[in-house]
Amino acid sequence: MAKDSIIKIRNVSFTYPDTTSPAINNISFDIKRGSWTSIIGHNGSGKSTIIRLINGLLVPDNKNSPYIEVDGTELTDKTVWNIRDKVGIVFQNPDNQFVGATVADDVAFGLENRGVPRSKMLKIVPEAIKAVGMDDYTNAEPSNLSGGQKQRVAIAGILAIQPKIIILDEATSMLDPSGRSKILQIVHQMKKKDNLTVVSITHDIDEANLADQIIVMNNGGLVDQGNTKEIFSKVKLLKSLGLDVPFASQVKEKLLQSGISIPKEINSEKELINYLCQSNSKK
Amino acid sequence: MSKILIGRYVPGNSLVYKMDPRGKLLVTILFIFIIFLANNWVTYAIITIFSFLAVAATKLKAKVFWDGVKPLIWLILFTSVLQLFFTTGGQIYWNWIIFTISSYGITNAIYIFIRFTLIILISTVMTVTTMPLEIADAMEWILTPLKYVKVPIDKIALVMSIALRFVPTLFDETLKIMNAQRSRGADFNNGGLIKRAKAITPLLVPLFINSLETAVDLSTAMESRGYRDGANRTRYRILKWSKYDLYELAYFIILVLLLLVFRTK
Repeated sequence: MAKDSIIKIRNVSFTYPDTTSPAINNISFDIKRGSWTSIIGHNGSGKSTIIRLINGLLVPDNKNSPYIEVDGTELTDKTVWNIRDKVGIVFQNPDNQFVGATVADDVAFGLENRGVPRSKMLKIVPEAIKAVGMDDYTNAEPSNLSGGQKQRVAIAGILAIQPKIIILDEATSMLDPSGRSKILQIVHQMKKKDNLTVVSITHDIDEANLADQIIVMNNGGLVDQGNTKEIFSKVKLLKSLGLDVPFASQVKEKLLQSGISIPKEINSEKELINYLCQSNSKK
Repeated sequence: MSKILIGRYVPGNSLVYKMDPRGKLLVTILFIFIIFLANNWVTYAIITIFSFLAVAATKLKAKVFWDGVKPLIWLILFTSVLQLFFTTGGQIYWNWIIFTISSYGITNAIYIFIRFTLIILISTVMTVTTMPLEIADAMEWILTPLKYVKVPIDKIALVMSIALRFVPTLFDETLKIMNAQRSRGADFNNGGLIKRAKAITPLLVPLFINSLETAVDLSTAMESRGYRDGANRTRYRILKWSKYDLYELAYFIILVLLLLVFRTK
């Protein structure tokens, strides 16, 4: 498993200054290249802290010899800028990550930082803006855009620098349902086209459901890790951590409670519908 | 409300809009100096005609410029009236204790009135036809020589553009907080000076905290997008001189020459 993991985290702990208990407590996990991983957990479980550790915004506590590796490079003081080139993050608040005064300026910001010559930027920037469907707004100012549009611009800014990993740090949590589905659709297309790795931190169970792998966190520790089906069949565990479960799992749980037996392997909405229709027609 | 925040920029597409903001800013600043070259009726007439030419070239409604002059009209009138009553010399028409109305006083008052109005007109021409962002770029260009005395122009430019970018955001935020506090009974518009100053506290404190939080979020986002101190950054947005700027140059040179020729020594 070692070779195809793009992110490797070993024995990482992190304590914020002025607090006694660690925000992240001795965590280790791997993320596969080209996969979609969701990290779920209730508020304050350390999800966002993990992200800031991955691209070196925070430095792990110096105990248990922590090790973080991104795309084959170990995260150190010297490599932190290389790693930031490979990781693009879309943050939660669309207003607070818009640096440029117009859409084009903002998309170009990452390129400016990397010293890309202007002639190249003139080509890359419109392409990136077009890829997220914002070409009608190239010269618009952020105050005239909706939250969903601002997040799309943030994604364009990431596209422009061609990263290997996209991290969505609750990027859709402040958006309305249509803005949310549009963002997820764009990320999905990008992932397919450039074989990107996506890590999404989310409270939204439908967004977590898109993932190949789910990591469940609680109080800075890693509680469970597995594919979507495995995790969402553990309704009791998730509820005890204060998390939601997908609609299909909720229905299944209620049916089980009212005495209708449903096989364990049925978890998705489609399977459940098929099973219920079949068992109904048998009667 | 959002009309106020974008400076007083009025979108348009006339000649003045196509000019480079650097040229406009320079000419506006220099205009304030050369207006003092005028010292007789002919030169004042010339500079008035030239100012109105600039106003006409914007092809904007007269009301826009009236809005520019209006807030300062009392200052202009006050200064003119002072000139009128306290200047002595020439033929004296009226005298009462310390107040005099003389021929010099009358001409001086009119000169001051014209001078004030024209300076405001010309600066309005610049601000209504140039986006705040362009003005910031132009200021950066003008400040560039300070690099040689180790002034961090790049950082100042970034600060300016971020400040401008957050003006509308903070304005929206202010309105939201005001409405939220109003819905809990805060009263921002009534009472005496002290009561009103106190009423502002529930507005200012959250606004201040919000701004700090925004700053932290923004700096995190900037850093994770590869911004680092002192690195060689390239620029996406650049300013270009065009043929329209030659018109502006010609306008300015002709104006200065005419003023120099016709002013009384």
